[in-house]
Amino acid sequence: MRALLNSLSKHLLHHQSWNGYWEPVVQCFKPGWREGYFRAQVKHVQVFAEQSIELIIEPEKAWPVHQAGQHIALTIQTNGRLLTRVFTIASEPQLARQQRQIRLLIRSQEIGAFTSKLTNLRTGQWLNISEPKGQFVMPNTARSLIMLAGGSGITPFIAMLKSIPADSKQTITLLYYAKPNSHWLKDELEQLKQSLRNFDYHLLERSKDGDATTWLTTNAHKHWLVCGPAALYKQAAALAKQLNTPIDSEHFSAVPAAVVTSDKHELTLTHQGKTFTIDNQQTLLTHLQANKQPVTVGCGMGICHQCQCVKKQGIVRDIRTGELSDSSEQLIQLCISQPVSDVELSA
Amino acid sequence: MNTTKTVNYEKLAAQLDSVKADVKSKLGEQDAKYIRRVIVCQRVFEWSGRILLMLGFIQPVLWLVGVLSLATAKILDNMEIGHNVMHGQYDWMNDKYINSRSYEWDIACDGASWNRVHNYEHHTYTNIIGKDRDFGYGLLRLSNDFRWRIKNLWQFVTYLLLSVLFQWGVSYHEMAAERVFFGKKKDDRDYKVSHSELKKRFFSKGARQLVKDYLLFPMLAGPLFLWVLTGNLAANLLRNLWTSTIIFCGHFTGEVETFNQQDCENESQGQWYYRQALGSSNIKGGNLFHVMTGHLSYQIEHHLFPDLPAKRYREIAPKVQAIFKEHGIHYNTGGFFRQYFSVVKRIVRYSFP
Repeated sequence: MRALLNSLSKHLLHHQSWNGYWEPVVQCFKPGWREGYFRAQVKHVQVFAEQSIELIIEPEKAWPVHQAGQHIALTIQTNGRLLTRVFTIASEPQLARQQRQIRLLIRSQEIGAFTSKLTNLRTGQWLNISEPKGQFVMPNTARSLIMLAGGSGITPFIAMLKSIPADSKQTITLLYYAKPNSHWLKDELEQLKQSLRNFDYHLLERSKDGDATTWLTTNAHKHWLVCGPAALYKQAAALAKQLNTPIDSEHFSAVPAAVVTSDKHELTLTHQGKTFTIDNQQTLLTHLQANKQPVTVGCGMGICHQCQCVKKQGIVRDIRTGELSDSSEQLIQLCISQPVSDVELSA
Repeated sequence: MNTTKTVNYEKLAAQLDSVKADVKSKLGEQDAKYIRRVIVCQRVFEWSGRILLMLGFIQPVLWLVGVLSLATAKILDNMEIGHNVMHGQYDWMNDKYINSRSYEWDIACDGASWNRVHNYEHHTYTNIIGKDRDFGYGLLRLSNDFRWRIKNLWQFVTYLLLSVLFQWGVSYHEMAAERVFFGKKKDDRDYKVSHSELKKRFFSKGARQLVKDYLLFPMLAGPLFLWVLTGNLAANLLRNLWTSTIIFCGHFTGEVETFNQQDCENESQGQWYYRQALGSSNIKGGNLFHVMTGHLSYQIEHHLFPDLPAKRYREIAPKVQAIFKEHGIHYNTGGFFRQYFSVVKRIVRYSFP
């Protein structure tokens, strides 16, 4: 049916998608309705002292409920611009099923436009979410579990812990690393400890408690789950390989650090599946041409939009205005875009 | 370039850049809402039009209203939405459909081919003889830069025919058909798209339009086939005449100047702005008129800032005019009839040696 409508739309309405053709009209009746996304309504926004924002949203009925540990892409419209970021759901599937609510916990110190905009969200406002994605869920094993969390990597574990029945026989130990005084959800963890028979947790700080090596090596017979910054994951993965321990992980690189400097330094550029080492001095177009990548070239001064392409991630600077881009997916003109962080372009 | 006048190009560039930066900083929700509202209007006009065409068998006046409504929809689609979105004016919105890469319009010309020739050749090399093929479209002699030929004698008739068939003229022209079909080559040109690809796009988009307007939509109306067919034909004709007239008034009024290729070698930003300024002309009118021209009635502002959302040209125009005045640059503007008469005069004048 959908394929038929889209084909009709292509032939009769010169629009690639039937729903897309009607989108602005539907939005008059259903605010925030967007083809290819689910709608969700803001129920509650709260800023916590531990540099986190709690966002509770109500997805529309058609949204397929997540498994604990999965993430979604959240899209908000802010000052006319659509911005998207990926967040792990920090609530259990039962809550989504019974009360149609999901919770996101978002670090608020992130540089860049997104999180500061979240605090401006009002109750009742509509935003868009993707279907739940990701393979990082409770492993199908009877072994005891070690959960290793770093910073905001605590979120999938909260969802998992809240989703398991109180009488579960599986022994679970959570090792939660964070900067001093920035452990999230301490109350909830304490409650979980009371309600789950075989659960215990340790709030750790790297500067005080050292890294996780000792904890992990003494628990080599258990199944490890790791979520946190790339450095944490790398260390755990190396140990797991050495000790032959089963490990599941989800790691995130923090938003690429934007170094706005005129000093020359090296970055990487990914284009059509190939990765190049580039510097931050020249435009992306110059780099792609130097690397003999097939690109369409036009005026070279940002007028004609011929060299335009989709940036999947990374931050670029408009050489005409000095303006920095957002770090997520955007259309950019290669000839006037200078890389500021590592950049990935779509094929 | 005009050498008798000395313009402080650096100052001109700085002033115009600051006008641009000022608007850019203001872009936001208001502009996004505006373009979505125009799209909603376009959908309403399009479907009221299509339905009214079929009701012509009850009362022919309804058919007439339908034609006007459908023509309005096509004009909005081509000008205020299509032309402007395909210029990248709304790319900052990050919308999946309202952007220069995915928009396709209701006209015989393939969007991607148009985007290439129009945005690159026409907007970069505006009115440079030999580079900007839009000057006279290779059909009309509009300045002494071209040698007079016998066919120029009847070029006013050629112009009228071009207006009637404007969507096909644009399509044929934007594909650089004389090169693609007849192998006329210019060696210094860097071909962005292969000839066979262009040919394919020309025929596939053109055929799609013919089938849609004169076969599919009429067939959907069943026994009312002819009402819809003639309605579509009339709406397309109205759209062609309107777009052609507006575009000619923006580019070929009497005072619009032309340039040589040497003029633009190593051109600075200020000189580029200057050339854009002298290569275009505005038409005065009310807000509704501006919307119906896709704000190409602000052709000067459009050529200075092709990727600013067009509705913003209204607020920029007084500033641009003041800057031009300061530098002694002629700001070519006038009422519709004055500008149109000037175009007609130019076409007729250069019909003769």
